[in-house]
Amino acid sequence: MLILGITTSTAQVGCAIGGHEGVLGAIHSTRGRRHAETLTPAIEFLCRQTRVAIGDIGAVAVDLGPGMFTGLRVGVAAGKALAHARRLPMIGVTSLDLLAFPLRHSHRRIVCALDAGRGELFHAEYRQSPGGVQRVTMPEVSTPADLASDLEAANDEVLLAGDGALRYVELFDPIRRVELADHGEAYPLAGSLVQLAHARALREEFVSPVELTPTYLRRPDAEINWATRDQAGA
Amino acid sequence: MNVVAATASVDETRDLARALASLARPGDVVVLAGDLGAGKTAFVQGFGRGLGVPDRITSPTFTLVHVYEGRLPVHHLDVYRLGQLSEALDLGLPEMLDEGGVVLIEWGDAILPVLPHDFLEVRITFGAGDDDRHLALRPVGPIWAPRSDAMAGVLSPWTGTA
Repeated sequence: MLILGITTSTAQVGCAIGGHEGVLGAIHSTRGRRHAETLTPAIEFLCRQTRVAIGDIGAVAVDLGPGMFTGLRVGVAAGKALAHARRLPMIGVTSLDLLAFPLRHSHRRIVCALDAGRGELFHAEYRQSPGGVQRVTMPEVSTPADLASDLEAANDEVLLAGDGALRYVELFDPIRRVELADHGEAYPLAGSLVQLAHARALREEFVSPVELTPTYLRRPDAEINWATRDQAGA
Repeated sequence: MNVVAATASVDETRDLARALASLARPGDVVVLAGDLGAGKTAFVQGFGRGLGVPDRITSPTFTLVHVYEGRLPVHHLDVYRLGQLSEALDLGLPEMLDEGGVVLIEWGDAILPVLPHDFLEVRITFGAGDDDRHLALRPVGPIWAPRSDAMAGVLSPWTGTA
C-alpha cells in the first residue's frame, strides 16, 4: 500500500510518498511559513516525480502535532479532505515521535523539543527499542528553563533534538552530557511519517477522517464567561 | 497607571486610537471592552490608520479575524460569537504575536484566561450625550506599564489635561 504523509506542525511543511519499498520521494520547505500555498502543489509535484497517481494512494498519514497551530491546521485539513474525497483510511502520528524516529540508532536518552511559541516548548522523552524508539513520557508543555533544569538534574547522556532546542541553544548547550542534534534533525520529516505509518498500516491501525484529531496540549476546556455580553444584549 | 479619556464623536474615538497607535510595538495585545455600539471597531479603524493600514477596516464579528498590513501586521479579532476558550486559541493567537503583529481583540476581556499576561485594556463606556464616550486605558503587565506616561502624553487632547 502506498501512503501519502503530510507534516505541517512546525515552520517546515513537508510531504512524502512511500510504502513497503520505503520512501519513494519527499519534499520539505522551511521558507516563509507558506504551508497553505506550498502543500498542495508539493503533493502534486511529488506524485508526478514518483510516478504515483493520486488514485494509487491507499492511506493518508498526517503529523498530529503538537506544534504551530496555523500550520497544523493546514496539513490536517488537507489530509482529511483528500482521505474523505477518496474514501481512504488515515493514520495520525505525534510530531515529537516523528522527530525522534531518525535518532533511533542512538543509545542515549532522546529528548525532542519543538518550539511552542510564547516562550514555551512541546517536549517528550524517548528510549531506543527494537526497530525504533519508544516514547517514555507524555508530550507536555513547559518553559525552556524548566526543561533545562530537568536535564541538568538528570544524570545520563541525552541527545536533544528539535527546533525548540535550537531556539534556546544558550540554555541547553552548557549542560554537560547533553548533545544537541543539528538543524537536519530539527523538524519532523515526512519520510519518517511514511515509515512509521507503514508499520501501523500493516497492523491495520487506521482511523477515519472524522475521528482524526490534532493534538493541542494547550487547549483549555472551559466555556467563555459571557456575563458582559449577555448584560449588553439584555 | 490608568489613563482616562473622553471623546464626543466616533471620529474623535478614531483620532484618539490613531494617536495611541504611535506607541504600538510588535507583539502588542490590545483588549477592547465595551457594549455593542460603544465604538470598539471604530477604535480599531483609527488604530489601523495610525499604523499605516491603507485598507478599510470592517467588523470581524462574523469572520472572527481580519489581517491588515501596515507598519506592523494588524490582526483584528472579535470573539463575540465564540463559546469556548479553546476556540479563541483556534484563531492562532500565539502565532500572530510571535510573528510580530499587533493584535486588537474586541470583547477580549471575555477571554483573559487564554491571553498573554501583558496587554492594554481599553474599556469604552457611554457618556451623557449620544456620541459621548469615556475611554479607560489600563496597562497590564511589564510590557505596557512603562508606556503609561507616553500614553498620557499622546492622549492629552482627550484627557482634559492639555
